[in-house]
Amino acid sequence: MFTSAGFAKTWQYIQLFKEGLICTLSLSALTVIFGFIFALILALMRMSKIKPLSWFATCYVELFRATPMLVQLFIVYYVVFAKASLPNFKLFGFIRFERFFPGVVALSMNSGAYLSEIIRAGIQSIDHGQTEASRSLGLSSRQTLFDIVLPQAIKNILPAIANEFVTIIKESSICYTIGVQEIMYAVASIKGATYRIAEPLLIATAVYFCLTFPTSKIIAYFERRMSRGFKR
Amino acid sequence: MASNAELIKVTGLCKHFYNGDLKALDGVDYSINKGDVVVVIGPSGSGKSTFLRCLNLLEVPTSGEVVFKGVDITKKYYTDKNGNKVRLNIDEHRRKMGMVFQHFNLFPHMTVLANMTLAPIKVKKMDKETAEKKARKLLERVGLADRADAYPIQLSGGQKQRVAIVRALMMEPEVMLFDEPTSALDPEMVGEVLEVIRELAQSGMTMVIVTHEMGFAKEVGKKIVFMADGKIVETGSPQEIFDNPKSPRLQDFLRKVL
Ligand SMILES: Nc1ncnc2c1ncn2[C@@H]1O[C@H](COP(=O)(O)OP(=O)(O)O)[C@@H](O)[C@H]1O
Ligand SMILES: [Mg+2]
Repeated sequence: MFTSAGFAKTWQYIQLFKEGLICTLSLSALTVIFGFIFALILALMRMSKIKPLSWFATCYVELFRATPMLVQLFIVYYVVFAKASLPNFKLFGFIRFERFFPGVVALSMNSGAYLSEIIRAGIQSIDHGQTEASRSLGLSSRQTLFDIVLPQAIKNILPAIANEFVTIIKESSICYTIGVQEIMYAVASIKGATYRIAEPLLIATAVYFCLTFPTSKIIAYFERRMSRGFKR
Repeated sequence: MASNAELIKVTGLCKHFYNGDLKALDGVDYSINKGDVVVVIGPSGSGKSTFLRCLNLLEVPTSGEVVFKGVDITKKYYTDKNGNKVRLNIDEHRRKMGMVFQHFNLFPHMTVLANMTLAPIKVKKMDKETAEKKARKLLERVGLADRADAYPIQLSGGQKQRVAIVRALMMEPEVMLFDEPTSALDPEMVGEVLEVIRELAQSGMTMVIVTHEMGFAKEVGKKIVFMADGKIVETGSPQEIFDNPKSPRLQDFLRKVL
């Protein structure tokens, strides 16, 4: 299975893993940022009194949660961006933008659907008395949302958002299927060049683990600290 | 006819829940004049909170009018002094009515000072310095000058409620609405909050107070309103209500609480 010769061969292509790591991290970070903004808009739409908006948001969320990520990714890449000729420059000198960008879009659209439910729950968990106090002081519904409700809601769901980041790091591996040069793409490339698969996969496993395990431990630590702070 | 001194006039106020199966308010008529200290009493579930919350439209009435300073705030439009039809902005009217809640409802992510200055800065466009100076003065008045930078979680219940009162006062309201301001407090903290409300009453502030503290109602109230089953059953001076109750419902209620 694993041979020292296999590791030696794989090691010659270690640069591909470094690139894969950079690509995976950029993909995940952008997805969390865009996904969050998108999720916030979806959550507000879903809670809106304007019926068509809330219907649209509800349908969107249900659709994206009920279909496989791979299908969504292929639709975005092969259908939505099929005719759009994206500029084909390279990020960091190697990431092909015309593949990377549809990847970010598909992941953000998917992650937005999940995050919007988290945000909605966060907003609904805030005591209605907060809204009443704010409105009774003469603040508008908009001011109440942005100054009173959202700051408290976001603080409560920060750990959930951070956990979504961990999930995205793992899920972003699916973008290898459209040729985004993330970690799994590095594995496939090395396999093509060396005919070795076990060793590159072991390295990929180690890289993913080193990314996600400490991150989730750090999140759990802050989560414990925050809840303690609240009970004080 | 409406006198100049009339601040709020409520007519035919109804609030139904569950498509009319529950009549929380069932036709309430009442007028509040400037300087009035109205104390609302009655058994639990009689509609006291709903009545109070309809006054600043936190609860939207099913039917009836709430006329505040000549404007029916339950309607979408009103006619101004020059005879123009204007869209009603409820926020403008709410600014003139302060409200104090049973559970304080301070904003936990803000300091005491920030709680107090938020609305003046945001809606009255007061500059931060002026607002903070004003806030510190009010805090001093209620004996909390040293708590300006504390977060609500660091305060006792009585301190929280005093902050909630001065937070409402920051907007210089024309009427203050209190919904059972001492019901969530430990007994030893009731006094300090009632003291603040008492002082406010003496300063001439128009107030509507829902309370279970009968001694306080008798002492501070200039007019007492007794509610039961979503209706005003009896009104009168403290003497009339407490010493000479007429309706059997009120007699029964007083027997139970006194
Ligand atoms: N938001 C609401 N939804 C349904 N029922 C309500 C609501 N608010 C109040 N009620 C009902 O209306 C009645 C009057 O309530 P409330 O005004 O709170 O009484 P009080 O303050 O005198 O105890 C009660 O039966 C209560 O259960
Ligand atoms: Mg009540």
